[in-house]
Amino acid sequence: MFKELDPLLHSQLRLAVMSILISVESAEFTVLKEKTNSTAGNLSVQLDKLSEAGYITIDKSFKGKKPLTTCKVTNKGINAFEEYVNTLKEYIKK
Amino acid sequence: MKPEHENLSADQSLDIITQMIRQAQGNVKSNGFYFLLWGWVVAFANIGMFALIQLEYARPYVVWVITIPAWLLSMYYGYKHSQRERLVTHMDRITMWLWIGYGICIFTLVFFGRTINWNLNPVIILMTALPTFISGIVIRFKPLIIGGVSIWFFGVVCFLSDFEYQNLVGALAVITGYLIPGYVLKGKKD
Repeated sequence: MFKELDPLLHSQLRLAVMSILISVESAEFTVLKEKTNSTAGNLSVQLDKLSEAGYITIDKSFKGKKPLTTCKVTNKGINAFEEYVNTLKEYIKK
Repeated sequence: MKPEHENLSADQSLDIITQMIRQAQGNVKSNGFYFLLWGWVVAFANIGMFALIQLEYARPYVVWVITIPAWLLSMYYGYKHSQRERLVTHMDRITMWLWIGYGICIFTLVFFGRTINWNLNPVIILMTALPTFISGIVIRFKPLIIGGVSIWFFGVVCFLSDFEYQNLVGALAVITGYLIPGYVLKGKKD
């Protein structure tokens, strides 16, 4: 039997966001939106889910008068991502 | 990207991961600003000190005070820039701390300069070679890698030179190591 893939990561947009955040130090909301080619509404819903699970931190600040949302992956997020990839490997080996 | 699509196959998942990681890479900042600023300031200070030594001025090292506004400008620029950064890679962070660490070491050297009889020129030049070279590797920019090697070369030349000519060697080091790559970098961007 195969292990189940983490449902939090096994979704197109959340997986895309995590893949970006895993490769960088931090990324702004607008960058994530551009790179994943998603809508602001959907992206913020998915970011909240990842943040609630403790996979990422969301830092809200201001750049002048503009709100600035910066996302960073946590250690928990890195572990979850690694586990997801390892499970994925088993599926592919089949 | 479509809103939600839970029926991902393993291959699709893998595609997303590799595609996004590729997107995130290659974003290392390559900014010529610091190289141009410090290239000019240090070249001017070195040539100025050489000239003042030739004129037998009692305190030729005063010319180095021009680095004070350069430090302030660098810090201000760094601060402003960090606020504008939309994506910070691991390499950006490593490079930043490499240069900050280098700056701290230079301060320490100048502070204790008296204990080594102010024989600082070759040591500072040699130390400058390392972060320059590594920055070149990080941004995969050959002129800067060559610049780092040339600074190391002039560090060796400086050890072999008389004190009064060491500043000329220092000027050559920053011209080849900072200014040339700095202008190439600037040209590439525009």
